[in-house]
Order: sequence, then C-alpha cells, then structure tokens
Amino acid sequence: MERTLNFTAYLIYLPIVIFLTWYVAHTLFKNSKVFMQDIFNGKTDIALATNKLFETGFYLINLGFAFWVMEITHGLLDNRDMVEALSTKIGGFCVNLGLMLFLNLYLFFRGRRKAKARYTPLSATPKIEG
Amino acid sequence: MNTIAYIIYLLITYLITVRVGLVFFRNGRIFILGLLKDDVTLTDAINRILLIGYYLVNLGYAALMISTWSTIHNWMELFLSITVMTGKIVMTLAVMHYINMLVIYFISKRNKTILHP
Repeated sequence: MERTLNFTAYLIYLPIVIFLTWYVAHTLFKNSKVFMQDIFNGKTDIALATNKLFETGFYLINLGFAFWVMEITHGLLDNRDMVEALSTKIGGFCVNLGLMLFLNLYLFFRGRRKAKARYTPLSATPKIEG
Repeated sequence: MNTIAYIIYLLITYLITVRVGLVFFRNGRIFILGLLKDDVTLTDAINRILLIGYYLVNLGYAALMISTWSTIHNWMELFLSITVMTGKIVMTLAVMHYINMLVIYFISKRNKTILHP
C-alpha cells in the first residue's frame, strides 16, 4: 500500500471541527439564557437546567456527526487532493452546524412566543378601546 | 492492533458516558421534581435509578458495538475506526437525549392540561 495523505487530513480535520463546534455552542448558549428566562417566566433554576441540557445535546449531536463522517474513502495522493477533500468535509460540516443553529434559534423563538401568549393577562387587550 | 483499538475506544466511551450522565443527573433533577410535585425523597431515588439505567444501556451498547469491528492493519485505520465508532455512539446518545427531552416536554404538557383545564 502506497503512502497517502489521509492521516494528515484527519489530523487537520479533527481540531477544526471540534473548535468550530465549541465556538458555535459557546456563543449560542451564552446568549440563549435570555430566551430561557423569558420562556420559564423568570424561574432561573429551571431555565439554566434546560439551557445546559440543550447545550449538551448540541455538542453530542454535532460532534457525533463530525466523527461519524470523518472517513475519506479514496486515497489522497497530493496536496491538491487533500485541500479539496478537506474543504468539502469542513464546508459540509459548517452548513450542518448552521442548520442546527437556526433550528435551535427557531425553538427558542417559538417557546418564547408560546410563553408570552400564556403569561400575558387577558385584561391587557382592552387597551385599544380606551 | 484490534485490542489496542478496543481499549482506547472503551476508555473514550466510558469517559463521555460518565461525564454526560453526570450533567443529565444534575440538570434533570429539577424536572422530575416538578413532575412529582416537590416530593424530594422519591425524586432523588428515581433520579439515581435513572442514572444507573442510563449507564447500563450506554456502556452495554458500546461494548456490543465491538463485535461489528473490522480488522485493523495500521495506525491510520486504528485512528479512523476509533473516531467513526465513537461518533456513532455519541450520535445515538444525542438522539436518545432529544427523545428524553421530548418525553419530558409532553408529560409536563399533559399534566398541565389535567391540572388546569
């Protein structure tokens, strides 16, 4: 078996995806605490617990996906091959990460809307008449 | 070569399972507490039993997956197969986690509609 660049490609791929996942999760779930406070109507302990659970789920699903699709099936013979294969992998993973981010954001906005509808008192509506 | 892979793989899955289990154990308590209407002793008991069940399922599943492993010839294949197998385990964990959260969500929703029609 001749020597290929696959191993180098894996060694480059892994730190990049781990860093990307960490960065996105860190940013998203640092800022999602505001949403959680709104959703649970200021109950801080349950809001933080839910935030932590969502964060763990985000890490698990994205890192699991990244590890799962790491395999490059064809042998990489030169640098050009390696860069092309790596950019396909990392680009695909970035798109996946973006989709996950927007899915989470959608869930937060939806929860916030529902919570607003639930906790707003009915007496707030006659403001239009008076 | 396969033995080295199994040892590294089991070590990694063990670390991930225990760490994630502890996170769930700490943060899931408040939800059970809410569902059981603030019965602290029952909550702690159920939480501990759930943790043990979670460890059993995950570590057992991780050990079962070893039987599907192909033969390893060099270091690159070792690295690759460990990563891919760990990825599969972590994906399964994530799917189970989301199903659990959905179940909690639906149970709490049903309880609310029973209590406040």
